[in-house]
Formats: sequence, structure tokens, C-alpha cells
Amino acid sequence: MLATLVTAVVNGLRGELVRVEVDVAPGLPACRIVGLPDAALSEARERVRSAIRNAGFDYPASRITVNLAPADRKKSGAAYDLAIAVGILLASGQIRNGGGPWALLGELSLSGELRSLAGVLPMITTLARSGHRRVAVPGANHAEASLVEGVEAVALTGLDDAARLIAGPRGEVAARARRRTGVLVSSPRDRTSLRLAAPIEPVDLAEIRGQHHARWALEVAIAGGHNLLLVGPPGAGKTLLARSIPGLLPPLADDEALDVAVIESVAGMLRGADLSRRRPFRAPHHTSSYAALVGGGPQLLPGEATLAHRGVLFLDELAEFDRTALDALREPLEEGLITIARARGRVRYPARFQLVAAMNPCRCGHYGDPEQQCRCQHGEAERYVARVSGPFLDRIDLRVEMHRVPPAELLARNAGENSAEVGRRVAAARLLQQARSPGVANAALPGSRLDAVCAMAPPTRAVLTELAATARMSARGVHRVLRVARTIADLAGRPAVSDEDLLAAATLRQPPAAMAGPRAA
Amino acid sequence: MDALTERDAWLILASAEGVGPETMGELLAAFGAASEVLAALQSASFDRWHERRRARVGRPLLGRGILQSLRGWPDLAPERLRQIEELGLWALTPLDEDFPAALRDLDPAPILLVGSGARDVLAGPRSIAVVGTRRPTAHGRWLTARICRRLVECGAVVVSGLAVGIDGAAHAATLDVAGRTVGIIGGGHRHPGPRAHAALRRDIVAGGGAIVSEYMPWVKPSKGTYPQRNRLIAAMAAATIVVEAPVRSGALITARHALELGRPVFVAPGRVGDWSTDGSLALLRETPARILAGIDELTEDLGLLGRPTPVAALNGSPAVTGDNAARERRSAALHLLTGAQRAVAELICSAPAGLDALVERTGLAPAAVSGAVTLLLMRGWIQPVGPAYLPAGPLLE
Repeated sequence: MLATLVTAVVNGLRGELVRVEVDVAPGLPACRIVGLPDAALSEARERVRSAIRNAGFDYPASRITVNLAPADRKKSGAAYDLAIAVGILLASGQIRNGGGPWALLGELSLSGELRSLAGVLPMITTLARSGHRRVAVPGANHAEASLVEGVEAVALTGLDDAARLIAGPRGEVAARARRRTGVLVSSPRDRTSLRLAAPIEPVDLAEIRGQHHARWALEVAIAGGHNLLLVGPPGAGKTLLARSIPGLLPPLADDEALDVAVIESVAGMLRGADLSRRRPFRAPHHTSSYAALVGGGPQLLPGEATLAHRGVLFLDELAEFDRTALDALREPLEEGLITIARARGRVRYPARFQLVAAMNPCRCGHYGDPEQQCRCQHGEAERYVARVSGPFLDRIDLRVEMHRVPPAELLARNAGENSAEVGRRVAAARLLQQARSPGVANAALPGSRLDAVCAMAPPTRAVLTELAATARMSARGVHRVLRVARTIADLAGRPAVSDEDLLAAATLRQPPAAMAGPRAA
Repeated sequence: MDALTERDAWLILASAEGVGPETMGELLAAFGAASEVLAALQSASFDRWHERRRARVGRPLLGRGILQSLRGWPDLAPERLRQIEELGLWALTPLDEDFPAALRDLDPAPILLVGSGARDVLAGPRSIAVVGTRRPTAHGRWLTARICRRLVECGAVVVSGLAVGIDGAAHAATLDVAGRTVGIIGGGHRHPGPRAHAALRRDIVAGGGAIVSEYMPWVKPSKGTYPQRNRLIAAMAAATIVVEAPVRSGALITARHALELGRPVFVAPGRVGDWSTDGSLALLRETPARILAGIDELTEDLGLLGRPTPVAALNGSPAVTGDNAARERRSAALHLLTGAQRAVAELICSAPAGLDALVERTGLAPAAVSGAVTLLLMRGWIQPVGPAYLPAGPLLE
């Protein structure tokens, strides 16, 4: 007898539909899986056999052939387990299909229970698009499955649940099935009812005393989506400042939230029933490998750059990161995409993140520190800074030097504005940007639009010309100053960019003194 | 051979590898004159003397290789001396009239000076050394610039060591006000020190100053040559000013040499406990060095009263005389600025300040302060030094 079932796998961030055909025919007992399976998939035979037996069914002593279509595509992973097992039960006549067509997703344990999968969200999206609107998934993936509009998702705990589901209300399930667990059926969710998932507690800006310039730079960076570099000695508050970012980021829009959820699903990180509106804030450690940062590995999984899509990638101790990995981030910084090409295949991941980086001015961290002597050899500070390549630094719009605030002053100072107040200004500035060019932050404004968007008066234009001449700016440099100036004007609610906005933007773009090249007199 | 003057003979001997002031002194004491030494080298008499000396002292004065090359002087010396010419350098020996008299106070005195630039600048009676750490603070650079500016106004030549840090700041500040300055380097002219100072070295020579070394051009600077160089700086200057010196700064060696020579030393004090000046404070505590209590006070203590020549300020603003004119120029400049810009400029004039300090003291928004700072930088009215901004151009005192 022949049984055909539908399942899906994930490739990159896209789900792909796979048909599982199972034929059970008389012959020497054997099980063959065809359709370019890899080693892990070939092992599905063993898992499926044990699972069928331990769930209380019979494993047919016949010739079993499993075909995975399309046949020309290499397949890997354990997501097909459930479909294969149910296919064998159907084809051997142990259950009859009375429940209508269901797409089945899940990995089996030897006991017949289901294990959760990564990437269920894109799989179901694909299934839904190709008309398979009834989907059964492992219990742990149910919340994620129900995020897809118009899909009826069912949570299963084991193979026996699946058998019951496929057999339908009138169907008979083998009497020997031991466990009896209720089947949870959900109805499609209304997406507007999604709540904001509770955020983890970020540092509040009120905790940061002094550092007016750096705080302001951060506000500008978040408001306009500009990349930001903080340079300063240890203890200056670079990391603390960066940790306040999650509290300032505006919530994700609907489509953005879904983008982020798909990535988290593929990375196996999606938790909870609600679509999170929180923008990702990823802070990989500086010892992270190339693959961890940009993606890759045997499964071509997304890296931190992709996990930070639509959010912030914070690289603390920038100069300590692997240089090749940093340079690989140049592509996403420019294009918002990462292409990972390996012998196994080629995947494109979105990676439109905002970069916030922090670093010491030299190895010991005290170059230019009035409080403590730098212990580095002469020239060592330059070499330290040179670990971050010029083209990489060039993609960072805002560069800010931070200095340590002495403890006595720290205590004497009043608390600054809190995150809520700054966040309100940031949100207002982002609204202005959205009204002007939907979906484009100031940092991503194309050069051709800048003139129209900045609406400078002729005297202000003259200031820009003077600025460009004195600082010997390239055309690209001028564009960057304009984008930052636009954000500063947005924060102040000014429709046109003023002289002061331009001059202030230029201050934020200057390389910190520590990076200004060799230390001449 | 007969045409060889005593000066030529001296130069041949002094330029030889392995012959320094000590060796030279001993050779002259034994043979009477440099030409006699060269003549003896051509015969067996030098070897006999060398053997006798070895027996007496217990070790040879000259190694075998050095002795070998000394004997070959008729072949080797012209080549060595040509190198000096090829590099556009000049050589001075103590036999020359324009050899700086101040250096004769040293014991042993240098036997050779190789230099580029103007020779007459070495002879000036008003040479003042300004030295300090290689890792100065913003304040140190600022103070160095103010001191050098005043020294130039008083017609003094600023002597320093061309190292990064205070040395470089002193040379640069002197050049900024069109002063003359002497850089004394710790190796030969082929190894003139930090690459970052290539432009500075050109400017020193172009500005009527000089760059001087005690060594032949090919000598590499080493741990031993830098302290030797410091002794030259101390001797060349009538007084030495130490701006910023942490505990193990080379500037302390210069100061101690100056004190040994009986030359006055002025030390800019620092806050007790600051790493940047703990060497300076030790100097004030342990030696007869005097305190630098202010620019006017320094001028008075140095005996440079009168300030005969006013100088042109940075960025070609017109030359002015005296404090009143400078004050007028500054207030005229301040009047050209808008409210926020003026507030920022006035604060920077009163004391060096960084962006955070400016925000705090003006009470203005960071955007306004940043804008003002960029404008002032663009006009050349302030300059960044480390984390702080200092007045420049028309805002200079």
C-alpha cells in the first residue's frame, strides 16, 4: 500500500515543501529511504522503527520504501521522522486516513515522543502558502506555529497522538496504543491581539552620570539608526551605556516582528506564544568565531549579525574581535544581507542591523587617560587601533570618545534624564523619519534623497561647503554628515537642517583623538 | 699627508667608529695632538703604547676590529667624511671657532657635532631647554606651548630632544610663533627619531633652527645614547625647564645634568598624586631645582625681562605687542560669535576643557556645544589636545 504525506524543511530562512511517499510491499523485511538523504536522515530508519514499536504499533516485516520528493534536492535533519512513521502506519494499514490531510512536522524519540524542531515558523509559512493549512507540530513548537495567519496548528506529544489525529474522529487507533493524551487544537490567531512580550530589564540612562556627550551621541545614533563607536578607558561606562540601548529602541512593526521571529525560529530561539515587539539586541563576546558572528557551520545557521537583524549588534572590545570576522561584517553593514557560500550550498540571510561598538584606545586601555599612565610601548596604541580595518571604521557614522568620571564627581552629579524621556524623543524622531520616507531610517537614506530631505537654506549650504573643505571630506563623508545632521534636526523637531545641526554632526563624525593617526606633537 | 691640518686630523679621529669623548681624551693625553695620533697609527709606536697601556690598566683601550679600522684611516676616512657631505650635513669639532662654547663646560666635552640647519643658532646665549615626558597630558602640552611662546617673545632659542611628547610639543609651539629651535637627537642623522616627526624636523631646519647629533650619521640610537643626548641638551641651554615628568622620565636625567653643570632648572609643579608629575615633584623635593610658578614669574626668574620682540600668532593673525593687545584681539574675536559659541569659547579661554565639562559648565545642550566646538575648530580658534580643547589663534593669550 502507498501513503503520501506532506512535511517541510528549512533552507536558510525559507521553508521548503517536501512530500513523503511510503510504500509497504511484500518482500524481504527492509527499509530504504531514497531522495538524497544524508547520514542523519538515513538514521531516521532506526528512530522510526523504535518509535513505532514503543508507541504500541507494529513495525511491518515487509519491504518499506520511503521516497522524499523533490528527489533532486539533498535532505538532512530529523524533521521528516514523524511523516515517515505515520506514512508507515498508513501504508501498513494500521490506521486509516479519516482525519483529512495534515502536514506533519517533528522529530521522534525512540519512545515515540516528539521532539521540538528549529525553523517551524518558516516551514509553516511555506506550507500555508502552498495550501496546507492544517499542520501538526511538536507541543514545544505550537506557540510559534500559531503565529502564522490562517493556519490550524495542532500540538502533539507523540506518535500515538499523530495516529489519532490522522485516523480522525471515526477512525480506529490500534488498541495497544498505551498512552492517551489530549490533543490540543488551536484556532488561527488574530495578530492584532498580540501583546508586547515583557522585555528583559535594560540599564536605565538615569544610572549613567556625566557623559553628556556620549549620551547625546547614543540618542542620535538610536534615533537615526546610525552606527556608533565608543572609545575610552576601562571604567568609562561604555558597556553600561550600550546596555541602555534596549530601553531606547522603538518597538518592531508587524512585518518586522515576523521577520525577526522567523530568524529566531530557525536559530531555535523562539519562545512564548506572543510575537515579540522587542528589537533584538545582540552582544556576542569578542572571542566569538567567524561562523558565530556571520553565520555558517555545518547547518549554515544564521550568525549574530542575522540574529541582530532589525535591531542592534553590540560589539564590546571591538579591537579584540577576529579581524576576518569583522571584515566579513562589511557586506551586511552596506547591503543588509549576508551571503554564506559553502560546499554544501549557498544561503542568504538578512542582516540589517545597527552596529554599536566599544573599544579601548590601546591595549592597556589608558592611552590619553589623565588619571592613569598608559603602560603601552610607544606605537603600540596605533597598532592596537589598526586592528580594526579602515574600511570597517569608515562604515561607522558616529565616533565618540569617553572619559572616566572621577568617583567623587560621580557621586556629586545629578542623575541624568531617564531612558523613558530619551526614548520619547527617539520615538518622535523616528516617526518624523517614517512620515518622510517609510521604512527608511536616516542612516539608510540614499545620497540622492539627501538634498530634498535636508532642505537647507543657502547660508547653511555655505557652512557645509566650508566644513567639507576644512575637514577635507569626501563626497561620502559629506553624505554621512548630512544624514547625522538630519537626525539631530529630527530630534529637535526642526523641518530643515540648520547650521548648528551640521556643525554638531561634524563633531560626532570626527575620529577620536586616539585614532587620529600617529601621535605627532 | 703633510697638508693634514690638526682640525682635519681631529675630524678623522673623532669620526672613527669606537672613538668617543673618553677614548679621544686618553689618546690626546698620550700623543699630544690628533695629527700625532694619526702619525703614530701609521708606525709601530701606537701599538707599543697600546700594549703598555693594556699592561697598566688590565684591558685594551681599543678592540682589535676598531684598531684595524683606525689603522686604515687613510683609506676609510675620506669615505666617512663624504657621507656627511652627501647628507647635506656639517661637522663641528671643538677646534672650530663656532663650536658652542656652552658645551665646553661638559667633562668630557663632545668631540664632534654633526648637524643640519643653521650653525649660528647653537652659539646663542639665550638658549633654554624645554623637556618632559613622552606621554604628556593635555595640560602639559598646553603649558609647553605657552612657555615656548613666551621664550620666543623674549628672543630665546628653544632646545629640546625631538622625542614624541613634550619635546615635540616644544619644537612645534616654537615654530608656530616663528621661533628658532634646536633639536638634539640621540643617534646619527640617518636615524633621526620618530617618523611622526619627519615634518617637524623639516620645519625646524626651514625655520632657521638646527638638528644636532653627537654621532656620525649611521650610528643607531640605543639605550646608552639617549642619556648622553640629554647631557648635551642640558649643557647647550642656559637653563632647563621641566614641564611634565613621571618618575622614570628622561627629562629628569636632563635636569640632573643641568644641575651638575650649575645651570638653573625650573620645574612646573603638578597636583600631588598625579602620575604625570610625580617625577617633577621629586625633583623639586630632592634637588635645588626651582619651581615654575607662572609664565611671567618664569620670565623674571630667567632674567629675560623686557620681551623685546613681539611675534606673529598662529594662523597668520597680525602680530601684536603685549598683553593688552592680545586681550583686545581676543575680545574682538569673541564678539564675532553667537551666544552659545561665545560661551564655549570663553570657557575654553579660561581653562582647557573637554566636551562633557563644557556641557556641564555652560548648561547648554550637547548638540549646541558640539556645534560650537566644530565651528571654533574650523576657524582655528581652538585646538584639540588630548580630550580637551585649548585656545588658539586670536583667542591665545
